[in-house]
Amino acid sequence: MARKYGRFAKRLLFLVLGLLLIGCGPASPIQIGVRTANDHVPFYIADREGMYREAGLEVQVHLVPSNTEIIEALQRGDFQMGAVPVTTAIAAIDRGARLRIVAMTGRGSDGLLVRKEGGIARWEDLRGKRIATIKASILDVLLRQALELHGLDPERDVTLVYFQKLGDMVSALKTGQVEATSNTEPFMTDAVRQGWGSILGYYTEQWPDHPCCVVLAREDFLREHPREVEAILGVHVRAVERAWEDPAYAARVIVEYLQAFDPALVEASLAPEKMRLDYALSAGEILRMAQLMFRQGLLEHDPAGREFVDLGPLTRVLEGRR
Amino acid sequence: MSGEKGRPAFRQFLLPAGLLLLWEAFPRLGWVDPVLLPPFSQVAGRLGSLAFSGTLWLHLGASLGRVFLGYVLAVGLALPLGFFLGLSERAELLFRPLVQALRPLAPPAWIPLAILWFGIGNAPAVFIIFVGTVSTLLAGTISAVRGVDRRLLQAALTLGASRHRAVLMVVLPAALPELLTLLRLGMGLAWMCVMAAEMAAVSRGLGFLILEARNTFSTDTVLAGMVVIGLLGWGLDGAWRLLEGRLLRWQVGRRAYEMLGSAGAFQGLSQRD
Repeated sequence: MARKYGRFAKRLLFLVLGLLLIGCGPASPIQIGVRTANDHVPFYIADREGMYREAGLEVQVHLVPSNTEIIEALQRGDFQMGAVPVTTAIAAIDRGARLRIVAMTGRGSDGLLVRKEGGIARWEDLRGKRIATIKASILDVLLRQALELHGLDPERDVTLVYFQKLGDMVSALKTGQVEATSNTEPFMTDAVRQGWGSILGYYTEQWPDHPCCVVLAREDFLREHPREVEAILGVHVRAVERAWEDPAYAARVIVEYLQAFDPALVEASLAPEKMRLDYALSAGEILRMAQLMFRQGLLEHDPAGREFVDLGPLTRVLEGRR
Repeated sequence: MSGEKGRPAFRQFLLPAGLLLLWEAFPRLGWVDPVLLPPFSQVAGRLGSLAFSGTLWLHLGASLGRVFLGYVLAVGLALPLGFFLGLSERAELLFRPLVQALRPLAPPAWIPLAILWFGIGNAPAVFIIFVGTVSTLLAGTISAVRGVDRRLLQAALTLGASRHRAVLMVVLPAALPELLTLLRLGMGLAWMCVMAAEMAAVSRGLGFLILEARNTFSTDTVLAGMVVIGLLGWGLDGAWRLLEGRLLRWQVGRRAYEMLGSAGAFQGLSQRD
């Protein structure tokens, strides 16, 4: 009987030690959740070209169609890193998610789409009109800012109609249910190429080179696996540069990964005046976005003095390259 | 005696109370991430602030109106059509593929079409609730009518009742217990469609409140919205059960008869008489 218990205790000890060892070692493979959008093409390129393997990393890139699902999976620990719109990242950190923004993926790409024959040629023409947007998204935050800068009160001078999907907003505009939609690429370029849409303006006109999408990492992953984070960011930097070198290739990869649109359309939507892939990040621009969100009532806490960003790993990667 | 009576009513609160205790304890003890599941007291606090500011009532009123309208339209179509199809095998065969094809379609699948067909505002949301409820109500009504003993209908017709009167006086009462259960479940189904319905270009409603809160990671607001929907569902279910009890009072004797009859006891008693 005693021998039986001894054997059981020994097995239990091995099991506990094994679990401890697994817990202490690098998360293998590292799981990255990425939104299905143009801005995240550096992750698609890195995955397609085996850049993670070359850097000695075992990484699985998951394409997720919802920003909130990426954050929820990050918070649960299913993903160690992810890429989402900057507003999603800020809102999550504000609510207590133990995450940090560690790099940029893209800038610009959002703007206001109207119908070509809709009689809206200037921002001021939007007075009294219905505008489709996604509540609390980056499209909503930047739309409200643009309206205010053009002297329009988002609550009184226009009617904001809330949707959940980009495609539904485009359909609503096309069929005349709304007069404008705050939208993103490549939907806007697609509407223009189809001949019925017109881009009233990109939000970069109000905020040049504004951040759009960012890379997030779990705080514990940053703390316990700094080398892996740096290696992943190193790959990210190289993938962004690969996309800069060959936009046609980046467009083909987007089409391949998203299984939507055609390469010519996506390449047109990647034009520098519409959006810019990037990795460089500044804490100031993230704070500016957070303050904008706070003013719009989307954050619970005043962002002043709060830490949204960890610039350490990216800085070390860029210094290492120099 | 009153204690005996009160005990079953008290018991139904035991499980929810225990679950609420666990809900409060787990995040407080750090066993569950409070960002993913805030403690119950935090959710209750959020619910209180939503109620106090008036926001909750705006969203609740919008959802109640949509659910009521979508449900009434679904019942208005499903009951008469279900009766007709339940009584006519030929017509039911004609409609069966359509009814069965519509049933598995999830309400969110209708969103793009609802917006295209009905524009923005309440109409697409009401349509999604209607379409998410009607096929189940229709299939259930057909089944309830089919389940009525045909001999009852034949007996009424033999005794000289018109077909219309036989359906009204015999088939309807016989199918009523099943229909009332179906209507109660249909109300629950209509509430289940609210989330999908309020994804379709609306700016108010409990579904919208939950979706908006999800976009900003306000998990306590998400849970507060869910609690309200749950409480409403519970309350409406209770009201339906009361109504069922009143409308089916006549069934008490029949049920007793069936129970005794199945045990053979009633047969023995009647023979002795």
